[in-house]
Amino acid sequence: MATAQHDHSHSHHIIPMPVLIGNLVLLGFLMGATIWAAQSLPAMLHSSGLPDAQISLIMNIVALTIAFLKAGFVIAIFMGVKYTTKLVKLYAIGGFVWFCLMFIMFADYATRPMEPVHGWEPEIPSALPRNTSEIPD
Amino acid sequence: MSDHTHHHDDEHDPVYFQYEQIDQQQETYVLGMWSFLVTEVLFFGALFMLYIIYRWKFQDDFYLVHEQLNWKLGGLNTAVLLFSSFMVAAAVHYAQKKRKTQQLICLGITLLCAFMFMMVKTKEYGDKWSHHLIPNKAFSYGEHHGGGGELGGQGEHAAVLPNGGKITLASGATNMGGEGASHDEFQYHPGNGTIAPQPREKPAFLKFLDGVFAPLDMPEKEQHGSPEHARLFLSLYFLMTGLHGVHVLVGIIVISALMILTIKKAPTITDYIPTEMVGLYWHFVDLVWIFLYPLFYLIPK
Amino acid sequence: MSSTVVETTPKVEPQVEKNYLNADHTIKSWLLTTDHKRIAVLYLISVTVMFFFGSVAAALIRYELTAPRGLLLSSEAFNKTFSAHGVFMVFFFLVLAIPATLGNFLVPIQIGARDLAFPRLNLLSWYLYTIAAVLVLISMFMGGVDAGWTFYTPLSSTYSNTQITLCLVGIFISGFSSIATGVNFVATIHKMRAPGMTWFKLPLMIWSTYATSVIVLLGTPVVAITLFLVVVERAFGFGIFSPELGGDPVLFQHLFWFYSHPAVYIMILPAMGIISELITCFSRREIFGYKFVAFSSMAIAGIGFLVWGHHMFISSQSVYQGIIFSLISFIVAVPSAVKVFNWSLTLMKGSVHFSTPMIYALGFLGLFVIGGLTGLYLASVDTDVHLTGTYFIVAHFHYVMVGGTIMAFLGGIHFWWPKMFGRMYSEFWGKLSAIIVFVGFNFTFFPQFILGYLGMPRRYHLYYFAPEWQVYHIMSTLGSSILGIGFVLPAIYLTHSLVKGRKAEANPWDARGLEWEYTSSPPITENFAKTPVFRGKVYDYDAVADAAKYEGEIEPVIEGKGRTNV
Repeated sequence: MATAQHDHSHSHHIIPMPVLIGNLVLLGFLMGATIWAAQSLPAMLHSSGLPDAQISLIMNIVALTIAFLKAGFVIAIFMGVKYTTKLVKLYAIGGFVWFCLMFIMFADYATRPMEPVHGWEPEIPSALPRNTSEIPD
Repeated sequence: MSDHTHHHDDEHDPVYFQYEQIDQQQETYVLGMWSFLVTEVLFFGALFMLYIIYRWKFQDDFYLVHEQLNWKLGGLNTAVLLFSSFMVAAAVHYAQKKRKTQQLICLGITLLCAFMFMMVKTKEYGDKWSHHLIPNKAFSYGEHHGGGGELGGQGEHAAVLPNGGKITLASGATNMGGEGASHDEFQYHPGNGTIAPQPREKPAFLKFLDGVFAPLDMPEKEQHGSPEHARLFLSLYFLMTGLHGVHVLVGIIVISALMILTIKKAPTITDYIPTEMVGLYWHFVDLVWIFLYPLFYLIPK
Repeated sequence: MSSTVVETTPKVEPQVEKNYLNADHTIKSWLLTTDHKRIAVLYLISVTVMFFFGSVAAALIRYELTAPRGLLLSSEAFNKTFSAHGVFMVFFFLVLAIPATLGNFLVPIQIGARDLAFPRLNLLSWYLYTIAAVLVLISMFMGGVDAGWTFYTPLSSTYSNTQITLCLVGIFISGFSSIATGVNFVATIHKMRAPGMTWFKLPLMIWSTYATSVIVLLGTPVVAITLFLVVVERAFGFGIFSPELGGDPVLFQHLFWFYSHPAVYIMILPAMGIISELITCFSRREIFGYKFVAFSSMAIAGIGFLVWGHHMFISSQSVYQGIIFSLISFIVAVPSAVKVFNWSLTLMKGSVHFSTPMIYALGFLGLFVIGGLTGLYLASVDTDVHLTGTYFIVAHFHYVMVGGTIMAFLGGIHFWWPKMFGRMYSEFWGKLSAIIVFVGFNFTFFPQFILGYLGMPRRYHLYYFAPEWQVYHIMSTLGSSILGIGFVLPAIYLTHSLVKGRKAEANPWDARGLEWEYTSSPPITENFAKTPVFRGKVYDYDAVADAAKYEGEIEPVIEGKGRTNV
């Protein structure tokens, strides 16, 4: 193997050990944060007088934000996406972007109860929101 | 084929027949692995989508059922996977530096973490099994669970006893009969708790796990909420964590294979790329769990 | 094509005695091969077998429908027959016929590589396909499935008591076969191109295959898991889509069509790639608007993912979402139309040669336009409410799938047959069968448009309530017999050509592209004697075929590499 090539094969980034350890500590901290938030945050928010619906929303946002942060650090550092080519970055992100397309389904579930059809209940008991009680048996 | 056998003979040639340069080959493998991970993202993505839609619909009931899950065990598994993810990243680090001993040690610790994860998972599944929470025929969910049943000794058959509020499909007219159809065999307790089955005895070979994880046991919670939605939640739980568990098992196999091949100095392991690919896969397993943990174990009220 | 063209062809490469076909004759060398060309041949055999089974089911359906009260099958048997037809044709023929055979064969050669990026993965993909096909065949012979190829819940998950579990496991496995091929193509096209083969010098077949592979990567896992959920519901009693648990069966349709609508483009995009190659070659002209054709493939791949809801207008999906899906469905027609216009303008002022592949290509153009335009009726919510679930929709997608994909597949097979097997087939029989397929196809499916408009529901085998439909059904059945002859003929004369056919030159069509100008027919195992360096233009039909523009050798890379010693 020519020396030029030999040098080349080492051009791939070796992620330094301190970075890896730092990332692990960070991830551990975030994991602690998400458990702490789930255990203690609702009570704190409750005592500050927020309505339950808002607390639930805040808690969901907090939990998912932490999850996305953790995922981001795993992808960027452990999986080395931060150091790779643009093409790999594109593929790494592409899957998640495409997953988001599936949220189009929400448009369906969100607007089904809005249909101006007489006799359909606005209150939906299930994900199948049609009021079937009026169908004669 | 015989024309290029001399390439295969040359075990130390790290560049495969179809590539021009080692760089090209390495980048291709990484790209190939990532494009495979794209499919994995969408594979689990569809399940997450199901989960999100149902959770959005049944937030309250999902909250009530999720109390049956042990967030401490889930947290332990999160920690185990995060640590194993670090270990496999370290293995890649050492593989790139060609320090084989350290690489093998890191992979070995990753493997131990994987076994640890599966042990915790077995304990959790075992608990669900003994509490009739696996959404199969013996499934039972109702308010009086956890407090000791009135019909002690009925064992697992109690759950399929018909009771006043059972839900069955409109069979007969629509069901063509026969054995293929399955749903009409299932009955759900409506929550009035008249017949609550006793917890089932775990198989003996699983009992030792109870002792191991005793400090993480949580007091049994009463079962509240709609049993139908509980069944939906637990179906999703077993499906998603189960498929994740299958990925962990595959991970155990590929990590072991990688270690054996590395120790044996197999001709297929010529550079750090196999370790890197196994690492990418293992990180993905970790990624899935990062989302599964808050979504299943830490549902807010 | 005539011999005059052949004479102008310079002898690019002397006919090499050794090639990928005769390199080794043992059965083991075929079953354990990692050569992409041999795997392409294996796939060609497998998909032909599956196509045969699907065709038998189709013939049974057509025969049954000749009389208003049926002739042969009970209702259960009819349900199982059309389900078998759909499963075989969609999951085991259409989605992979072109990529796995012609794509496998051509991708490395057209970009100047020695093989795909992951040859062993490629072989694994064929084995997965074979296992899946065997499982599905077993499920069909053990009683079949009656839920249609779409497997809608709760029929498939709860009520049906046929072999759905086994069949779905087979389809699940075949999904991984597709994914393996997709991963391979993506990595190969990105990383294995020969020096000088930049993105805008790639043959359009490669662009199409790339777009297809991206759809496979993004869509197949979703349908795989969705069908797996049905298996889980049946086998373990989990409730995912069951309404009695509060689940939503329509969610199954969402997830199913999230893949299965893009799957339509998985079927048609490679066909479009083939047509781009055929039209340029036999018009002796550079393709009109290369970049538009290339980017329209990518646009179809992208927008194709946003339109799945048009399969669900009457499924209790929200009406508002239906309107949005309808709008986007109209938009996805635009890139397809761009391609058709570009092909038409390539034909204009071209010197059109009516060789066998070109007749298939022209047939494709006409049928695809009809199939595409009738699709617009189905994309519009209000007409769809009338037409959905009728024979109109059956005719529409057969015009796209059979008239599009299978015409292009046959055209491509005829075009690259000399390259794949080094033999020429009979041009007379080729042209004749192309015309028979075209005529038979229209006879079969055009009456179905009328039937559908009149209200004949799909998946029914009784129409005694409207006996006036019988005449259309008889026309359709007659046409399908003609179509059947059109499919059997190529099987006969192409097989015959393997033994008795005239030996093919390296470039019998005087076409452009690495596979024609730089490899022998059939190619050697390594494809190229030397790594080609592409210096010319793509589809450079103005220039005389000239090996010089590919000449040159990249710097010696690594000892023993670069095929310099072959």
